[in-house]
Amino acid sequence: MTEQEYQPHAEEERREFAAESESLWRLTLAPVTWALHLVLCYATVSLACARQLFPVDTARIWLIGATVLALALIGWQGWRALQQWNVRNTGALSHPEGKAEDRHQFLGHATFLIALISAIGTVFTSLPLLLLEGCR
Amino acid sequence: MTRTKPLGTIASDASGPALAGHLLAPAAGARRRGFTLVAVALFTAGCEGRQSALAPAGADAEALHLLFTSMLAGAAVLWLGMNGLFYWFSRRSPAAFPEHHARRLILFGGVFAPTLIVGGVLVWGLSLLPDQRAPGEGLRISVTGEQWWWRVEYLPEGDAGPVISANEIRLPAGERTEFLLTADRFIHSFWIPALGGKMDMFPGRETRMSLKPETPGTYRGQCAEFCGASHAWMAFEAVVMPPEDFAAWLEAEAQDARAPQSESARRGLEIFRREGCGACHSIRGTEAVGQVGPDLTHVGARHSIGAGRLGASLDDIALWVAHTGELKPEVQMPAFPHLEPAELQDLARYLKELE
Ligand code: HEC
Ligand SMILES: [Cu+2]
Repeated sequence: MTEQEYQPHAEEERREFAAESESLWRLTLAPVTWALHLVLCYATVSLACARQLFPVDTARIWLIGATVLALALIGWQGWRALQQWNVRNTGALSHPEGKAEDRHQFLGHATFLIALISAIGTVFTSLPLLLLEGCR
Repeated sequence: MTRTKPLGTIASDASGPALAGHLLAPAAGARRRGFTLVAVALFTAGCEGRQSALAPAGADAEALHLLFTSMLAGAAVLWLGMNGLFYWFSRRSPAAFPEHHARRLILFGGVFAPTLIVGGVLVWGLSLLPDQRAPGEGLRISVTGEQWWWRVEYLPEGDAGPVISANEIRLPAGERTEFLLTADRFIHSFWIPALGGKMDMFPGRETRMSLKPETPGTYRGQCAEFCGASHAWMAFEAVVMPPEDFAAWLEAEAQDARAPQSESARRGLEIFRREGCGACHSIRGTEAVGQVGPDLTHVGARHSIGAGRLGASLDDIALWVAHTGELKPEVQMPAFPHLEPAELQDLARYLKELE
């Protein structure tokens, strides 16, 4: 196999890989949402409780709103990833061949799982908001 | 079969003299049964006692105890289940497992079940927190973590001033008492395992917790946050009393110190003055108004001295004054080794009479 013969194939791969880099970014969106939600919760509650910058009751309502927003964002990412994975049509739970199509679906698969764990994490983070009132 | 012998030997070695009788037993089975008995006895003995979260004596400790035993039971079920599955599929039925079954197992056992279990335990744990921080039903107690002792102030309902005490906490049974916790220079943690959870004490900050003890008795509290050289010697007695007894005790605790009764105690008071103990210690009703060390107005009624370091006998007090630093590294009180044994006894007698 010479360089000449291999060239067109590699070129095509490169183009598809570039297209895939977008979904590589999407992979991080759900965990980033989870992380930001966590930081927002911690910072807001401590500013309300330790510094008394604003009443904790209002903070709590706003944070519950932010939680709904975060979960919606994560849910949307998860939904898109599920489409990309396309498991219903292909039934592919593993992607062993490493072709472009496989990669595409694998990134969808991974994004979906990460969105799932991010959603669970976000729900766990917000449980104290629902169960505990005030600063105690 | 080859395994039985070494196991038996280990068993008799590990159990030591307690099993001496059993060592003579002819059958290995009896020996092993004896070992199991001793092991179980040793293991469960650690659960009893006055400083055990596994022997709850209050509402909060009971809630935690239930959470703990439930989690322990759940963990045991999970452990047995996992090992059972492992045994089943590796030894009993090692045939290939259909893929769709495997997927379902991963989905339920790896995703749904852990999420639900962890979520359930989290909700349970969080739902306990408000109770453990609930405001008290009247009495509040302010406790400050010092190096290495506890400054205690009882703040009864109404406008009666604080009742100053130290190194011992008394509580009325059946009532929820709130604690206002803070610290002098280092972070400490306030914990009476038999009565409830623990709470950190921070310099410059006030944390709160509350306890609802149920069973009268004497329990032991311990600093639960490493705070320096004598952290391990920073303990206290927690005495739960019937409410009427508690009310009577608090009234007595609010009184000034009793004048020395015996001749020896009168000499002890003189030594207390001569040695300048009053620069650090307060004895209400006398000229001793120091704030560095524990209030000694009613030290004679405490169950221990040196924040749980020693008992409360005359000899204990004499030992404490003569060997403070040896008993408690980096303690903030100098030792008085130059005092004669007779002087130490007089001093101890004086303090012991401060009931
Ligand atoms: C420099 C200050 C200082 C002086 C002087 C001092 N003490 Fe102390 N004393 C302390 C401190 C601090 C503690 C607490 C030590 C600890 O438990 O970590 C203490 C603890 C005690 C205790 C135990 C109290 C309790 O509630 O457990 C007794 C009893 C005592 N001192 C007696 C004396 C006597 C008697 C003298 C004089 C001969 C004396 N002290 C002089 C600082 C002082
Ligand atoms: Cu401490």
